[in-house]
Amino acid sequence: MPYTVPIGPYHPALEEPYKLSVQCSADTVKSASIEIGVTCRAIELLVQSREWVPAVTLIERVCGICSNVHAMTFCRAAEQIAGIEVPPRARYIRTIVAELERIHSHLLWAGVAAECIGFQTLFMEIYALREQVMDLLETISGNRVNYGMNRIGGVNRDIPDPEPLIAATQAMAKPIEKDIVPAFMDNPTATKRMRGVGPLSREQAIEWGVVGPVARASGLEIDIRIDRPYNAYKELGFKMMTRQEGDVQARVVVRALEMLESIRLVTEALRTIPPGPLRAFEGVPKIPPGEGFAVTEGPRGEAFYYVASDGGRTPARVKIRTPSFVNIPPLEVITIGQQFGDISLIQASTDPCVACIDR
Amino acid sequence: MAVSDKGESEILRADLVARLVAIPGSTQPEERADGLWISGPLLDVEAMAREMKSLGYRLITITGLAQQNGETALVYHYARRRQYVSFRTSTRGGAIASITPILRMASWIEREIHDFFAVKFAGHPNLVPLLRPPGVKEGFFRDADPGPARPEKR
Repeated sequence: MPYTVPIGPYHPALEEPYKLSVQCSADTVKSASIEIGVTCRAIELLVQSREWVPAVTLIERVCGICSNVHAMTFCRAAEQIAGIEVPPRARYIRTIVAELERIHSHLLWAGVAAECIGFQTLFMEIYALREQVMDLLETISGNRVNYGMNRIGGVNRDIPDPEPLIAATQAMAKPIEKDIVPAFMDNPTATKRMRGVGPLSREQAIEWGVVGPVARASGLEIDIRIDRPYNAYKELGFKMMTRQEGDVQARVVVRALEMLESIRLVTEALRTIPPGPLRAFEGVPKIPPGEGFAVTEGPRGEAFYYVASDGGRTPARVKIRTPSFVNIPPLEVITIGQQFGDISLIQASTDPCVACIDR
Repeated sequence: MAVSDKGESEILRADLVARLVAIPGSTQPEERADGLWISGPLLDVEAMAREMKSLGYRLITITGLAQQNGETALVYHYARRRQYVSFRTSTRGGAIASITPILRMASWIEREIHDFFAVKFAGHPNLVPLLRPPGVKEGFFRDADPGPARPEKR
């Protein structure tokens, strides 16, 4: 007898609200549908009544995990309209914070994945490691979330003494390399729960337009850090992580390997950070009439910001396309034919951020 | 087609421009820092979607902008690796053809613009609210101050 199970919008496993309704026959999922919009904040509309400086503060609240990416991408779009050249030191600092944010986001997600497969000890180990990243971000910015580092034209804070941060960053590499990556790639308990589960083929990934680790786990070589290098990625070099399998394990492994590359990027950026000013100008930015967009590679993939200015004190229009907005819809196909018991893991494997989607 | 330094084929700019200009309602593209921009008030968006799909471009999103005359400007943003193309067009009588039947990824994007700007996407298979909270009228982004939500009485 077919039956429907409504998952969400409020449930204990996922702290953010969205609704996934799955129709099952016996233990097999036959179809699924998604409802979002429970926490729509209309930030795009609100920001049109904020002046350019507080607009950055508001934009940073789009997401509590990848907050820096949103503020940075908005600033980059505004800088493009105004033709503002960000100083090299600021570009390096933006890179350092962005990559630390990626590590903390990927660790957060890896912990969720470990919990979803019932691997509690791995979950505890990952979250303990995540605290080290949070400490680093707090040391740099003074905050654990919403770092307030970005401003139009550069950054608000310097990293005056990079040396201790290098050692602290490198200390994270060993547990990721020796414990976390092997646990997800080789541990029989983990691999049996993830291998072949929730597959998204390369063709489906193209059809649905997914981005970030979800796309790269399905064999798509897209990463804004390589395709349209920004910040200091051109100077630092960058290795893209891809897998061909397209299943839950591939998504986990891509993120795990990306953390190691992020550690290398942060270390290299801290070692080679150039001297110089932190911002292109002092005072309130003046954004002339115009329009433009910027894209950056957030932890979940491509973040897109379109910004239009009429030359006034506030943005005339801000359009935000977050990565989760395109990564979640394919759940309606990748859950079909899967076991009902795997649904929580499959939906978690897209690393959904509902705050980002609803904005 | 030319081979890029990463071994993946990229479309030569001249070939790309020729294909883009041939889309009904299209115009000569403008080169900007963020890619090629094409402005076509009467652009055939279905033909555009088919052409961009055949060129291997992915739809990033569509930006809606409220216009003084009650219409909505729509900017369709596409990407193919490092090549970006944006088409700017406008609704006609508050409506425009849906590209969801051609590009599946457009479904949520068009539903969102329907919520925010009350654009009717003709041919969309499921144009129901996506993000609009209950009690908020469709097209609430057209107002500078849309006011609080007023839940409908049941």
